[in-house]
Amino acid sequence: MASIELRHVSKHWGPTIAVDRMNLTLEDGEFVAILGPSGCGKSTTLFLLAGIYAPTEGDICFEGARINDVEPRDRNVGIVFQSYALYPNMTVLKNLLFPLRFKNTSNEDAHARAMEIAELVQIEDLLEREPSQLSGGQQQRVALARALIKKPNLLLLDEPLSNLDATLRLTMRSEIKRIQRELAVTTILVTHDQVEATTMADRIICMKDGQIEQVDTAENLYRRPDRIFVASFVGSPPINLVQGRIDKTMLVAGQRRLPVSGNTVSTNVTIGLRPELISTGEQGLPASIVNIEPMGREILYAAQSEIGLLRFLEATPQPRLALEEHVHLKADPGDVLFFDTGSGQRIEGVRLDAFS
Amino acid sequence: MALTQRDWNVLARRSRNIRHVQMGLLVGFLTIVSIPVVLPFFWVFVISFSARTGGVESAVLWRACGVLVPAVVAYVVVHLTFDSIRKRLFGAAVLILLVMIGLIVTVGKDLHLHNYRFLANANLIEDLRGAATAGGQFPWVWEAFVNSLLVAASSTLFKVSIATVCGYYLSRFAFYGRSAFLQTLLILEVFHPWMLTIPIFLVIYWIGLLNNLAGPILVLTVIDLPFFIFIMKGFFDAVPWDIEMSAMTDGASRRQAFRHVVLPQVWAGIIAISVLGFIRGWEEYVFVTALRTGNSYWVMSTYLYYVADDVMGVDYGVVAAVSVFYMAPSLLLYMFLQRNLTQLTLGGIKG
Repeated sequence: MASIELRHVSKHWGPTIAVDRMNLTLEDGEFVAILGPSGCGKSTTLFLLAGIYAPTEGDICFEGARINDVEPRDRNVGIVFQSYALYPNMTVLKNLLFPLRFKNTSNEDAHARAMEIAELVQIEDLLEREPSQLSGGQQQRVALARALIKKPNLLLLDEPLSNLDATLRLTMRSEIKRIQRELAVTTILVTHDQVEATTMADRIICMKDGQIEQVDTAENLYRRPDRIFVASFVGSPPINLVQGRIDKTMLVAGQRRLPVSGNTVSTNVTIGLRPELISTGEQGLPASIVNIEPMGREILYAAQSEIGLLRFLEATPQPRLALEEHVHLKADPGDVLFFDTGSGQRIEGVRLDAFS
Repeated sequence: MALTQRDWNVLARRSRNIRHVQMGLLVGFLTIVSIPVVLPFFWVFVISFSARTGGVESAVLWRACGVLVPAVVAYVVVHLTFDSIRKRLFGAAVLILLVMIGLIVTVGKDLHLHNYRFLANANLIEDLRGAATAGGQFPWVWEAFVNSLLVAASSTLFKVSIATVCGYYLSRFAFYGRSAFLQTLLILEVFHPWMLTIPIFLVIYWIGLLNNLAGPILVLTVIDLPFFIFIMKGFFDAVPWDIEMSAMTDGASRRQAFRHVVLPQVWAGIIAISVLGFIRGWEEYVFVTALRTGNSYWVMSTYLYYVADDVMGVDYGVVAAVSVFYMAPSLLLYMFLQRNLTQLTLGGIKG
């Protein structure tokens, strides 16, 4: 198993920059997710690691050794493509044996490995089938088995669940996690679905426009996002963002002034507050309900307050509040996050004194 | 308005009747349209087995048609009357049996294999017209057959292998001038190769391949290449990148990935252009004639031409027999690989 390192890696396609000076270190056996909107360079990063693309600049290192010029076939990387990329002209068994064909594995050994791995991903009954005769979930399992059969140093999963239906996605999510834990193989999952990332990975790399926004655990991405983008991308329903300005010891937002303390610098700020951290009460920020969206277990309300539009969640099956009803919004002032509007960076050490 | 059960039955019957009539009209139309196409082939076939002493016995033709035309009409009736496939097949079998009996009764005693003696007789023309007319230059048909096979097969081999490699490269690699190259391929298709006969003759003359089978092989290869490259590019475009990348991370080199994973996906295209290429080579007349100055080599087309071309009067029986012999390989190839040929549009249109 290898510890994997990207040092200042960039990939340019003509004038467009897919990956921009990326630095990253992965530990042995770690499960990392790359999370980001489409076109942010997450798949490119994956293909750089697999050796399908060569970096424009920077070094890719496995166990400290630079492997930029090592051919994909020599990197011992297993990859599961979004389309699964099963070889249509081969049976499932032949698909599984394909990676061993180029390593001097004896026939018996290869078959034994195939059986072992087929058992692990539970496709023992499908070995003689053609890929076209398999369902989406089965194809997914075969692709996973094919990536794992050569005991890769690194397993790369490119949006592996996006072609599955919702229930199957749920089972495959835990299946992949179980298999990864059993084999302790270093794994990188590329996804645009935050639920996939948070449920499966130990650490999440949040990417935007070819750059890493934040590398952290799911909890930290949610609680202490470093940047506005991370705050808005992680969490569902999305975080409330309100534009404002810090003026000495006051936060000016909309028509309201709220006291702040800490090392305040007068600047334009964006404040973020998660909908699930807002509740209603006797006192607090006055607002009126402008929209009600029942989401099954919870109700998502939108309320117009003096600082701006705020969404909040209430865990009741039926709407308790009515449109245009006047309410007071409550929140722990410590939950309010401050971001520098210009740089998008979170401002630490600034605290809201009261949310009212 | 409420419809009763009776009304529904009436509507259903009406629509069934309309469908039957429409189908009948369609079958009738297609039959009429195909008569001018099928009839010459049928006549050539009948003549080759029935003509005697140089002339064509048209009575045999009419009698044969007299049996076949009612049979076709009868099958149309059978097809329209019966809905089940088994009954239709049974009807067809009965009709075929009746046709056989009818043909044996009407033309049976006129059939013979004498016109096919050219297959066994190496000195056919000398026998027909005397040694003086042919000057001993006319070959045995098998020599022409082997030459034709050689031209068709080797030009096909070259075309298909070059087109496959080029198509792959054009489909997968970005290089300077790629789009210009693709456009040039299309523009080349605009010009008919016969317009280039004289320059081609000169080039072949200069490189010293005149009166050599290598000449037509080379020219035929080059003529079909642009179109074939284009077809193969379309087939390769349809093969997803992922599969190839996956093979390469699975430990295959680019060449191994091509051979084990990509090539099997484009077999349909390779078979299709192989059939087309073979038939083009097999039928070729213009360049095989243009690139020889005497009777240095013979292929089937020139053989047929020579048999049919005579001021002294033509033995139509032999001409027909040679034609049937000449047609047979193309026909067989077409019949066996027809399914692959229909896939051509699938890869072709993706350009």
